[in-house]
Amino acid sequence: MLELRGLEAAYGDVPALSGVTLRVGAGEIVALLGPNGAGKSTLLGCVSGLVRPRAGSISWEGENLLTIAPHLIVERGLAVVPEGRRLFGSMTVEDNLELGAFSPRARAARRESLARVFALFPDLRARRRQVVRALSGGQQQMVAVGRALMASPRLLMLDEPSLGIAPQLVRAILDALVEINRAGVAILLVEQNVRAALTLAHRAYILEGGRVVGEGAGADLLRDPHVRRAYLGPLAAGG
Amino acid sequence: MRSPGGSTEHAWTVAILVAFALLALLPLLTARDDVLNFVFLVLLSITLAQSWNIVAGYAGQVNLGHAAFFGLGALTARTLWIAGTPVVIAMVAGAAVATGFALLIGAAAFRLRGAYFAIGTLALGEILRTTVGNALPEISTLPAASIAGYRLAPRYYLALALAALSVLAVAALARSRLGLGMQAVREDEDAAEATGVSALGLKLRALALSTALAGAAGGVFAYYHISYYPSHPFGPGWTFDALLMTFIGGVGTLQGPVLGAVLYVFLKEYLTVRWVDFHLLIFGALFVAIVLIFPGGLVQALVQAGNGARRRRARRRGATT
Amino acid sequence: MTLLAQQIVLGLLLGGLYGLAAAGLSLVFGVLKVLNVAHGELIMLGGYGAYWLFALLGMDPFAALLLVIPGALLLGAGLYTGLFGFVVRAHEETRIKNSLLVGFGLALALHALAVRLWTADDRSISTGYGGAVLTVGPIAIPLIRLASLLVALALIAGLHLLLARWRWGKAIRATAEDWQAALLTGIDIRRAYLLAFALGTALAGAAGTLVSVGYSISPSIGLEWTLKALIVVVLAGLGSMLGTFVAGLFVGVAEALSAAAFGGPYREVVGLVIFLVVLVLRPQGLFGRASR
Repeated sequence: MLELRGLEAAYGDVPALSGVTLRVGAGEIVALLGPNGAGKSTLLGCVSGLVRPRAGSISWEGENLLTIAPHLIVERGLAVVPEGRRLFGSMTVEDNLELGAFSPRARAARRESLARVFALFPDLRARRRQVVRALSGGQQQMVAVGRALMASPRLLMLDEPSLGIAPQLVRAILDALVEINRAGVAILLVEQNVRAALTLAHRAYILEGGRVVGEGAGADLLRDPHVRRAYLGPLAAGG
Repeated sequence: MRSPGGSTEHAWTVAILVAFALLALLPLLTARDDVLNFVFLVLLSITLAQSWNIVAGYAGQVNLGHAAFFGLGALTARTLWIAGTPVVIAMVAGAAVATGFALLIGAAAFRLRGAYFAIGTLALGEILRTTVGNALPEISTLPAASIAGYRLAPRYYLALALAALSVLAVAALARSRLGLGMQAVREDEDAAEATGVSALGLKLRALALSTALAGAAGGVFAYYHISYYPSHPFGPGWTFDALLMTFIGGVGTLQGPVLGAVLYVFLKEYLTVRWVDFHLLIFGALFVAIVLIFPGGLVQALVQAGNGARRRRARRRGATT
Repeated sequence: MTLLAQQIVLGLLLGGLYGLAAAGLSLVFGVLKVLNVAHGELIMLGGYGAYWLFALLGMDPFAALLLVIPGALLLGAGLYTGLFGFVVRAHEETRIKNSLLVGFGLALALHALAVRLWTADDRSISTGYGGAVLTVGPIAIPLIRLASLLVALALIAGLHLLLARWRWGKAIRATAEDWQAALLTGIDIRRAYLLAFALGTALAGAAGTLVSVGYSISPSIGLEWTLKALIVVVLAGLGSMLGTFVAGLFVGVAEALSAAAFGGPYREVVGLVIFLVVLVLRPQGLFGRASR
């Protein structure tokens, strides 16, 4: 469904992505792993239309995304939960969610989408009138995921959803992702919590220095020695 | 904005100074007052524009209160000169007062970035204009003896000297450490600070030079006019004129303000004959076009035309571009 | 004492118009990050619109609002499409500087055009009910100015509701807060910019109409009102229409008090001085949020 080929991107003279080729198929959960600065956020930026790549192609269901404006990419069925959430802090939970369904296609289905979001995150229903700024990090993350879901996406992309969130809430969010996927939404997950990501994902890519250095099924990579050494730390040595 | 210095600017500096030298002969060649008055206006405008250019083009800040310094220079010089001080000393005193005031507010003013600095200086200019207008509402007229002995030539030469001084100041600035430091601050203030450059110090020095020239220009204005309202030189029109001339000519370059001033005064005088104030409509539109399309102004247009001509010549000779 | 109270009331009435004038500027600056220094000229144009509707068609200025406001909406849309739409393509720092310069050029052109078309004379609309006064104790409240204050308040409240309830109003607020997140949410931010600019111009037009009937207009009021609007915006900070209105009232009263204390000619100065002090000490304004 989503296909990146030979993607090259840079910030001024600093290269961020070199020859990145990547696929996300229908209904898949694909994880994107790698150290800080590897280019993972840049990659999501290219797909969502905020960053302009220097070379390469991005196609979604056969259509070239590079010529489409960011807000229209959302209309095509791709939604992003950005790093740091980027919610509209001065507005309520309800307003943030409602704005998520701004594109015409999403707007038509907004009532169902909202019901689904509240079913996934019951906590939000109680807090719907609260101003987002007043919520905790974990609750804000739920709003961010919910806002992206309101766009009725067929591909949901998340940039470091577990960053700065309490562990039990991370669990809740990852469980929600499984459910979302079960409903037919493909997921591209950029995550620092490698173990959790690999347990969840069908497939994963490893990005280092802007290049894809590893690729494979989630379970296989969990066992891969390089991955274990680089990302899972000394505690993982045991198996 | 382009980097200052370079052989083009050097060539322009020489050309402009030669032109000034020729202009020095003008009063000897013609007795026509209207011609001399016109050239005087051009020279004063050159100083006004060039002085504004220092802060805008080299220190990168849009000062919308430039008239305040022009006005302070005029006020001080006029007061001293009418009281008997020799005019050159009065002018220097005017420049000193303008610079003193600039340094007084400079530190606070430069805490503001970009738009805030611009509107802050605009407000400052208006405060001064209103205050002076209220404190000195009566027209300032030279005593009868002075009017009887009024000669245009000394005014003319003073304006010429000041214009030459402002051009030389900018030429020297572009090459100096001060100028290069300013360019670094203008390009990226935070990066410059990180390498040890004191942005505030540089900006204050730029402001000091700019306001000194503006204040001196005010002195020339005060020396030139027989009667005017003391608040007149504080009016925002002077700032806007400087802004227009500099941008249309090419902000941040040496020759830009000069070209812009010449064009501006010519068009203004020509258009005023036929349509009063219409020149502002044209300049407003031209200005918008320049900001959006030709940020380098006339200078950029000339450079591009020059490149275009060179390419066409090369093609005709059969060489590949 | 009564004289002071009278002056304060008049200052309050004028301050309401300051608030309305500032609201438009604040909206545009907050959403587009563009400082339209031609805002005062737009107010001036609104005033002339009402004036000519009155002079040529005999239309009551308050009724004329129904024509001036949509007209100003269209003008704003046109100005955005033809001019400011290009300014917003730049990065924020350059954008603010360019908008200042473009706005300046626009102001110059509009001012010259107005002088050309309508001469530099002062104009004022004098309706039949122009002299009516509401007397509250020893204080005389000119009815027209009171009505203007109420209209201004209604427009501001209306704007507040639009921004709070209307789908595109929320989109405008979202764009103002985080344009990249707005794009990611599927909002066409250029449409949000267009709407915000049109709304801002509409408010300016309305303010101009009220100025022409309660006070007077001429081509030169542009700079004066731009400065007033700027003072109020800086005082209030961005983000709250109601806060902007209150700040406008504050400036009106401050001017009245300073005129009483230092004499009439200095009333302008106090506003500007407050402006500078707030600008330097608390750039986010009295009601604004800490991050700029």
